[in-house]
Amino acid sequence: MSAAILETRNLCMSFGALEVARGVNFRLERGARHALIGPNGAGKTTFVNLLTGLLRPSRGSVLLEGEDVTALAQAKRVKRGISRTFQINQLFRGLTVQENVGIAVSERLGVGGSMLRPAGKRADVIAEASRLIEMLKLGEDAGRRVAELPYGRQRLVEIAIALGLNPRVLLLDEPAAGIPSAESHILLDAIATLPAEIAVLIIEHDMDLVFRFAERITVLVSGAILAEGAPAEIAVNREVRSVYLGSALDA
Amino acid sequence: MSAALELTRRHQLKWWEALPWIVALAAFLAFPTYLAFGTQLLITILFALSLDLVLGYAGIVTLGHAAFFGAGAYTAGMMAMHWGWNEPISGLFAAALVAGAIGLASGLVLLRTHGLTLLMLTLCTMALLEQAANMGAAWTGGFDGMPGLSFGKILGLFGFDVLYFRSQYLYVLAVLFLCFVIVRTLVYSSFGQSLTGIRENVLRMHAVGAPVRARQVLVYTVSAALAGVAGALFTQATGYANLAVLGLERSAGVLIVLILGGYGRLYGAFVGAVAYMLIEDVLAKAYPTAWQLGLGLTLIAVALFARNGVIGLFDALRRRLAGAAR
Amino acid sequence: MNSVASILLGGMASGMVLFIVSVGLSVTMGLMGFVNLAHGAFAMLGGYAIVLSMRHWGLPFPAALLFGFASVAALSAVLERLLYARLYRAGELDQVLFTIGLVFVTIAAVTLAIGPETQTVVLPAWLRGQTDLGFMQYRTYSLALIAAGSALMVALWFGFERTRIGARIRAAVDNRRMAQSMGVDVGRLFTLTFAFGSGLAAVGGGLGAEILGLDPQYPLRYLAYFLIVVAVGGMGRVNGVFFAALLIGVLDFVLKIYFPKGGTLFIYALTLILLLARPHGLFGKRGVA
Repeated sequence: MSAAILETRNLCMSFGALEVARGVNFRLERGARHALIGPNGAGKTTFVNLLTGLLRPSRGSVLLEGEDVTALAQAKRVKRGISRTFQINQLFRGLTVQENVGIAVSERLGVGGSMLRPAGKRADVIAEASRLIEMLKLGEDAGRRVAELPYGRQRLVEIAIALGLNPRVLLLDEPAAGIPSAESHILLDAIATLPAEIAVLIIEHDMDLVFRFAERITVLVSGAILAEGAPAEIAVNREVRSVYLGSALDA
Repeated sequence: MSAALELTRRHQLKWWEALPWIVALAAFLAFPTYLAFGTQLLITILFALSLDLVLGYAGIVTLGHAAFFGAGAYTAGMMAMHWGWNEPISGLFAAALVAGAIGLASGLVLLRTHGLTLLMLTLCTMALLEQAANMGAAWTGGFDGMPGLSFGKILGLFGFDVLYFRSQYLYVLAVLFLCFVIVRTLVYSSFGQSLTGIRENVLRMHAVGAPVRARQVLVYTVSAALAGVAGALFTQATGYANLAVLGLERSAGVLIVLILGGYGRLYGAFVGAVAYMLIEDVLAKAYPTAWQLGLGLTLIAVALFARNGVIGLFDALRRRLAGAAR
Repeated sequence: MNSVASILLGGMASGMVLFIVSVGLSVTMGLMGFVNLAHGAFAMLGGYAIVLSMRHWGLPFPAALLFGFASVAALSAVLERLLYARLYRAGELDQVLFTIGLVFVTIAAVTLAIGPETQTVVLPAWLRGQTDLGFMQYRTYSLALIAAGSALMVALWFGFERTRIGARIRAAVDNRRMAQSMGVDVGRLFTLTFAFGSGLAAVGGGLGAEILGLDPQYPLRYLAYFLIVVAVGGMGRVNGVFFAALLIGVLDFVLKIYFPKGGTLFIYALTLILLLARPHGLFGKRGVA
């Protein structure tokens, strides 16, 4: 069995008396199209925070490409290839879309700290940022401040930033939330055109999207993995149905 | 791609950027008796520029920036008084070095915190320096400071003109120009852009892999060095240094300058300094209490309505006109 | 031995004044996350209200304290609703600017209306003189201050831990959004807490007029001390502020006697070290810093 690109071993985390991660053993394979589902409060976002380093676990470890990164800070993990979107947009609201994506691309290209050359002269950064903006159909808004955009388009900017980091592992926290259904195909297209080598983990409540996208599904309930497997298996899993899917599938 | 095009053009020089310098030179010729005031104005602009880097661009709220101004002032003063070293230009470098070193040391330590704690710590650091200056009277002249310092000729050619401040004015203007070029370069670089990212959303900056703390410490150090240069210029131009170069009043003063003119914009320091010092010169001497009242009301109004200062008001006006024209 | 006791008592008395003034600031900062640098202005206004009402209306001391509390509480409630509330979502910088502006306005207004001189409080007879403690005699007023401060601490502790409104305040301090979603009217809570805290500051301003002095420069002169007490004690922690105030009060008192020149430097250095070790204060909450 090939080594997973991202793995957790016995990951445990509690806030005081509340256990939000209970011995989670999770594997994300290379090139995976993996979905993480579960009821509200199951600890999905917390799990992603633990994967990216925003939170430190009380026990257990996170491994990236077999290397233990549990002690590494967020920024360092990003440099090793993990990128994420936030459930609530984390954007540079006062800056334009072009600048938002440009900052991410600059960091990825390693020129974010360059102090002499004007940012405007970095044709490679600008071109790459423009490419991502086009891909997410944000072209006509590129020069507008993020704060002025409707929430759905802001969400797309969030994704553009995550993609601009050229990650090997992409974690999307409820990417479709807030995107009007008329525009959700933009998101789906963007995900569909991602290079096959990138491992993608999506947290989602939209079961339609989950079953269309995922090759593998993990169900998280109360901080522990309840079930894991191919979509077909999960759909008929009785425990999962009773705890979570139930009405969503019968409908 | 108009957005991308706009970005590629942003750093290019616009015609009106020459104006402040033309005006400064014209003032030299037109107001020969006001050059002492003009020199102070230019020094204030430099000090405000240094604060803008840290506050306006990186979003680090500090009330203790006078610590670096004072460090530079006292360095230049002590070098002249105790070691007889009064060559001006090397004095500037020494001041930049000392102030920058203090900025680096305090930045490494303080920037681990944020919010009120950081604000407090900047105040404490400045207060510490102030107390040290007060106590080390043998070195610093204590409460009375070091009056009557004299400095050598700039480049061995131009002596300081105690009466009309002619050489001081041009000297300070030249230094301001050089420092401004440095600040402008920084602001338009990728580094400068990442500072605005840090200001707008620190979490996101971490999440794009930026070494946030390193960038903050770096800009803090550079800013401290520039403030130190401003302080040294002050001592060299006026011939004295005392406790007033440190302390809450000076920190608050430069903060107000930046607020009035608009922070996070290169020329806010220029506009704000002119506005503040003109009004202060007219009002403060005559009616100090009314000056304080007016200043307070202005600050309240700015905080509530005009967060981006005078330049911000113009900007908003311009945007509204452009929107109406569409 | 007696001199140690008298120094300790003297320090505790000024510490108590710091506590009474600062506790309101601590709670409102913890509750609203708002940097209110104008808190000292409320203390000063209260002091003036108390002194002047005694002088011109002949109010007895306790009534004057009540008047000071009520008048400043009312004024601050109005300011909070009209002005402060507009800046809750604003950045730190705007809050700093607004409150510094408010301080300037207050100082200028008081200077213009009343004058720059220091005001003195005429204590009632039963608070003057000395009290026999058995092993020594000590200033009655200082002892009264210590008693009052301690009583306030206990009352506040009781209020926070045992009453419903106290529970609501604690909940809102810990997690505003959750408290809101549980039906707590956060806006009204803010106004009430702000008014109460400012009222307490007003009383502190009057009570402390003997020790800290009372003149138009008061808000700026003591700004650093109030902020230090709150930062070291932890925002929203009443007992934290209590002990921090005592600590700073005693330290400052001792240093003024033995190191009149370098004392303040020591306090700033100590604060620096403390805040670096514990950014949330000695008693503040631990968490994602």
